[in-house]
Amino acid sequence: MSDKFIRAIKADEVAPGGMKAVELDGNEIVICNCGGKYYAVQRRCGHMNAPLDVGTLDGVYLTCPMHCAQFDVTSGEALFGPVPHDLGDEIPPPMLGGYLQNIGMLMKHVRTESIRTYTTKLEAGWVQVALGSA
Amino acid sequence: MNIESRKKALRYFFGQVVGPLGFKFTPDAELMDFLLEQEVMLEGKHGIPFCPCQPLRHDRARDMQIVCPCIPFHRKHFDAIKRCWCGLFVHKDVLDPDKLPQLSPKEVGLE
Repeated sequence: MSDKFIRAIKADEVAPGGMKAVELDGNEIVICNCGGKYYAVQRRCGHMNAPLDVGTLDGVYLTCPMHCAQFDVTSGEALFGPVPHDLGDEIPPPMLGGYLQNIGMLMKHVRTESIRTYTTKLEAGWVQVALGSA
Repeated sequence: MNIESRKKALRYFFGQVVGPLGFKFTPDAELMDFLLEQEVMLEGKHGIPFCPCQPLRHDRARDMQIVCPCIPFHRKHFDAIKRCWCGLFVHKDVLDPDKLPQLSPKEVGLE
């Protein structure tokens, strides 16, 4: 991997607080506009690979749409694992209950890893990403 | 998970909620740091940053009312004492939180 910058998106394609997914040389990346400063992170969640670009970006904090794992887009650091579901007092049907129990047991062993970040720069109206950087 | 990073994130998220409600973080930096750390611990255990000063009763409806920042659920009480129960948040006009008494709802005439 080189530190060569590749044009990812035009800067005005993403409003502040927004995100856009791009694929650069086979790498799925999300460009985040944090108040005019651009960050690039891997598109796949460090928990269960959900696409992060359909999550929510608040400041520099990106929340996964699937289980609400949270990441700092400036560092890629995983800040919080999945939020546990609560069915309240509702008792699921036996077959669904067994399935959920099985999923729950497996989910306990899934770690939330930090996500990869990429160096960005803004040049000539383009957000550029260096794929070789972290 | 890094506790300091999570504290920083919670501070950011909470700040956005409590500001429009007329509250701010306590100026007592040591207390704020301690309480946020306890919330990170509780969040790690339960998945939710509950108030560190209130007991969990395992009654979902009631427990949801002590998710930090719990100001909207106890607004009259906290407005009367100018702080939230644990003291993480105080009214924006409070400069010295040590002078604020921790009074129960009953003591301020709400029960």
